[in-house]
Amino acid sequence: MKLDRRQLLALTGLGAASGLLAACGDAKTSSGPGTTTQDQLSKLLPAYTPNELVKADIPSATGANGFFSSPTFLKYPDNPVTTSTGVPGKGGAYTTITPLWGAIPSASGNAYYAAVNQALGATLKLQPADGNNYDKILPTLFAGDKLPDWIQIPSWNMGNLGFADAVNKFADLGPYLSGDAIKAYPNLAAIPTSAWQCCIWNGKLFGLPVYYSGATIAGTLFHRQDLLAKQGINPDEIKTPDDLAALGKQLTDAQAGHWAFDDIFDGLGQVYKFPVDPNRWVIDADGKIINRYETPGIIEALNWFQTQAKAGYVHPDALTDKKQEAKQRFWSGKTAITSDGPGAWKGDDAKSGKAANPTYERQAFKLLSADGKPEIWMNPSAGMYSFLNAKLSGDQIKECLAIANYLAAPYGSAEYLTVNFGVPGTDYTMVDGNPVLTERGSKEVATSYQFLVTPLTPTTVIAGQTQVAQDYAAWEADMVKYAAKPAFYGMNITEPAQYARINQPMVDLVKDIRYGRKPVSAFQEGLKTWKAQGGDQLRAFYEDIRSKYGTGQ
Amino acid sequence: MTTATAKTKVKVNARPNWEEPPTPAGQAGKGLILAVVVAVVAVPLWMVVLTSLSTQGAVNEAGGMVLVPGGITFEAYRQIFTNQLVMHSLLVSLGITIVGTVISMVVTILAAYGLSRQNSWAHRPILLTLVVTMFFSGGLIPTFLVVSALGGYDAYWSLILPTAVSVFNILVVRAFFANTSQDLIDAAHIDGAGDWRTLWSIVLPTSRAVTAVVALFYAVGYWNTFFNALLFLPDNQKWPLQMVIYTYTLQGNAMPGTGQNTTGQYFGTQQIAPLAIQMAVVTLTLIPILLVYPFVQRHFAKGVLLGAIKG
Amino acid sequence: MTALQEAPAEKANASPPPQRKNRFRRDRSLLLMVIPAVVLLVVFNYVPMFGTATAFQNYSIYAGFLHSPWVGLETFRMLFSDPLFWHSLENTLVLSLVQLVFYFPIPIALAMLLHSVLNTKIRTFVQSVVYLPHFFSWVLAVTIFQQMLGGAGALNQFLRGHGLATWDIMTNPDTFKILITSQVVWKEAGWGIIVFLAALAAIDQQLYEAAAADGAGRWRRMWHITLPGIRGVIVLMLVLRLGNVLTVGFEQLLIQRDAVGREAAEVLDTYAYYYGVVNANFSLGAAASLFKGVFSLVLILAANKIAHLMGEDGLYRR
Repeated sequence: MKLDRRQLLALTGLGAASGLLAACGDAKTSSGPGTTTQDQLSKLLPAYTPNELVKADIPSATGANGFFSSPTFLKYPDNPVTTSTGVPGKGGAYTTITPLWGAIPSASGNAYYAAVNQALGATLKLQPADGNNYDKILPTLFAGDKLPDWIQIPSWNMGNLGFADAVNKFADLGPYLSGDAIKAYPNLAAIPTSAWQCCIWNGKLFGLPVYYSGATIAGTLFHRQDLLAKQGINPDEIKTPDDLAALGKQLTDAQAGHWAFDDIFDGLGQVYKFPVDPNRWVIDADGKIINRYETPGIIEALNWFQTQAKAGYVHPDALTDKKQEAKQRFWSGKTAITSDGPGAWKGDDAKSGKAANPTYERQAFKLLSADGKPEIWMNPSAGMYSFLNAKLSGDQIKECLAIANYLAAPYGSAEYLTVNFGVPGTDYTMVDGNPVLTERGSKEVATSYQFLVTPLTPTTVIAGQTQVAQDYAAWEADMVKYAAKPAFYGMNITEPAQYARINQPMVDLVKDIRYGRKPVSAFQEGLKTWKAQGGDQLRAFYEDIRSKYGTGQ
Repeated sequence: MTTATAKTKVKVNARPNWEEPPTPAGQAGKGLILAVVVAVVAVPLWMVVLTSLSTQGAVNEAGGMVLVPGGITFEAYRQIFTNQLVMHSLLVSLGITIVGTVISMVVTILAAYGLSRQNSWAHRPILLTLVVTMFFSGGLIPTFLVVSALGGYDAYWSLILPTAVSVFNILVVRAFFANTSQDLIDAAHIDGAGDWRTLWSIVLPTSRAVTAVVALFYAVGYWNTFFNALLFLPDNQKWPLQMVIYTYTLQGNAMPGTGQNTTGQYFGTQQIAPLAIQMAVVTLTLIPILLVYPFVQRHFAKGVLLGAIKG
Repeated sequence: MTALQEAPAEKANASPPPQRKNRFRRDRSLLLMVIPAVVLLVVFNYVPMFGTATAFQNYSIYAGFLHSPWVGLETFRMLFSDPLFWHSLENTLVLSLVQLVFYFPIPIALAMLLHSVLNTKIRTFVQSVVYLPHFFSWVLAVTIFQQMLGGAGALNQFLRGHGLATWDIMTNPDTFKILITSQVVWKEAGWGIIVFLAALAAIDQQLYEAAAADGAGRWRRMWHITLPGIRGVIVLMLVLRLGNVLTVGFEQLLIQRDAVGREAAEVLDTYAYYYGVVNANFSLGAAASLFKGVFSLVLILAANKIAHLMGEDGLYRR
């Protein structure tokens, strides 16, 4: 039956978030690591021209190392501007495949599809595929030569594609977009350089970025503000892992079915400074490249978590590695502190949580640190990319890029409303100044066109929860102050295949320790084996990358 | 061919007159065991169905699957059934199931009978050829390449033909056929009946239980077909029901790596828990399965062919 | 009186073995009947088996089967020198044995019990209900177990509420194989009943009547008529089960592997998944499945042989 596959893939999907697959991919390669030098980069990257047509209610905050928070809109602008002139398409017909995590809309009689295709002046045949099983579909498309004209591939699915080879099936967009060429597509020109950087393999620009931001945070520690308040805890006073540990006893009442923590181990990465997926390598104080498993922080984090688990302050179900139920545990108040992607903190979350308990309030801790020097490594700006089939002609590529320019129109524009919400009155209506899908709209509008290319992701009001958007904006503005780059930030590196297998024993060992099955002391032994089985060679490979291509600093 | 018609129907429910009346202790023991067995299954079933009918609030109160009724709503089912694609895919699934089961049964029964005769020419090497396929497969990509080279990509038959033969089912049917009385078959042959006629009028009528069971196996297999649809049907309009309703279980599932729900925002009606929708999908999967068993059971009736074997 | 288990000799008398050529002519229509199945299997099973060749290659989906470099037995050497592989094989075999002993007889016993219930309505009801869990996904099945028996499940919350010690079987590596087997019993036993019910239905009722007339009681009839009557199917199922001894429920184990750890839960299929699929090492996956195929085929043929030696039919009659 079907749910199993959902979870099965949720397992691998979550693996992307928390453990198994590196974004840049570890797979066999016949064409080298697929990396690009700084020199080549500067020639390839499109010129950046920010879009200033729409002003955010809470503008981006600039943080450390060039990172910036998302612009926040509390309501949709009253008179949406039109950013492009005329109809972008020339009547072409293209097939697309994009992942989807949600119900598949019917294509026949779909007013939304019809409206967007009409606005585009082209016929995109959208074929959303099951996002959780996407890793099964992709290799068959490549092997069987069934790639559509336009396809989206998330970075976490690139690991088992050997992506330095895979990109050769796609069109090189450099001639159309590099440098000033991009000025023909103003909305694409407004995509920040950090997002374009992720789209380059083998010294060529292949991808269009999807859902990117100025500071992509892998995940963070959330708490139930209402539950903490009941115990008289002020979350702003929680600054160190010891402070956090002290909450364990206070917030746990096992008899009543309440536990302080969910499985927050990945969230401890930012506290104890070890990189979590997709990042694996950082540069230590001596300038040496070290792996996640070689950081002193990971051992402290293992210690911390095992102590909490053994003391009984972690929800028992969380110790079975079932992360997909963590949200429900949090909504139900069975856990008070959890770790999740920042995207979990949205208006719809508040709505789900308040269904049984109107005082429900999700808040994120301000960045904790063990050493008083908070710092957080950022993910690559974009986590998903779309590609055009190399079989398309130059004119077809230009038509698709013009379409992409339309799809990338910024929040607040007229085009954005069409692409994201469809036909006014039919698919959506304005409620308190924000577009909200009608019942028909909720059946027709799926994340389909948006998965081909997007504008810079804004923070918006969802489900009428204005306060959530404001709180999120304030938290993010604070976080970017501590943003830092991991060793190979934004670089696409395909590791030699033989090193892929040494990672799994470490993943298993870390789980054995954090769930209390093995003592923390077992870690050193495992690390020794990891080094001997190829870890040291893998570091040499990365040192080599550093000397040939530089780092992402 | 008079043998097969010599049936003595025995009333299905009644205890045959030669059987001694049941002892109270035996009855009680049986009843107790069956009650426990049913309860162990029925309680989770109850939770599945109840959760599918629960509001987000009720699910939050329960902290997961719901055991005690709280807020009740049909919203999950409404959301699923108001999608046009669901009704369309229902027709696709019915078509696939009916056509597929017919094809599979014909192929299976023929092969099983063809291999059931002792001493028949080359039956052992052929059986071995079949058995090998149970243990060796080329894997996902080679299978994909073959099916798509034959034009199966984006075609309905890719849901049927690659999985039309189950060697397991052939072996089971073959074993039952092989037990059909040789006397009966010999008699038929003496009457001048060929193998086709023997299969049709002697073997099949005496093997209704096993053919019903295997038809059930095939039918539920086709009804639940998922993986081939995932691989071979990029076009959503061709998807079978299981594939379409499955996508509802992704609703409210965060996009990996971000924690973000990509489903569009909509709050016209009651908030529905992702878990409730998932359980509604499970319930919808179980209903046809629950309905189909009695049709199979009919063919299990004891003594339907009493006397046939005597000839 | 024709018993279901006919003595082979009896048959041989009925039709003495003709010459090879004559047999072919005699059995033409039988062979014709087998053709559709063979064709389908050749096209959709045998032809794709060229993929097995990837076990001897360093396969890349971009180079394809024709252009991927050949590496001989290198992948197998890697596989067989990996202690994790042998550990997963050991876990698989132990788990299979536990399931053979504690799962295999249950559907047979339940089928016989159900068969002895005279009321058709009760029989149909019970059977319709108990076979439903087969259609649950493993995720759902495990979720239900977790909610009942997990550390925060109904049982343990009850124990906590009464100040008793808790008992978390869901994360205990020592009892993991028992847990897995009981889940299989819960989920699959009802489904497994069906084929035995069909076998029971095929038993000639006159045998019972004759036995009863001879004064055989309930239990004697069960021993001398019922069991022998379904013995052929039991042996067939047993032989097939032995052929699948290296298959112990991939999804079920994948979902619960991290709850108890690799050491207790890694089986051959999860090993191939983590080191083949996840790492995009198609060749390793192919090698593991080839190993599994050869092992299983040898085992099923051996089991079949043993069945024949013991005078049973197995996959086919001797």
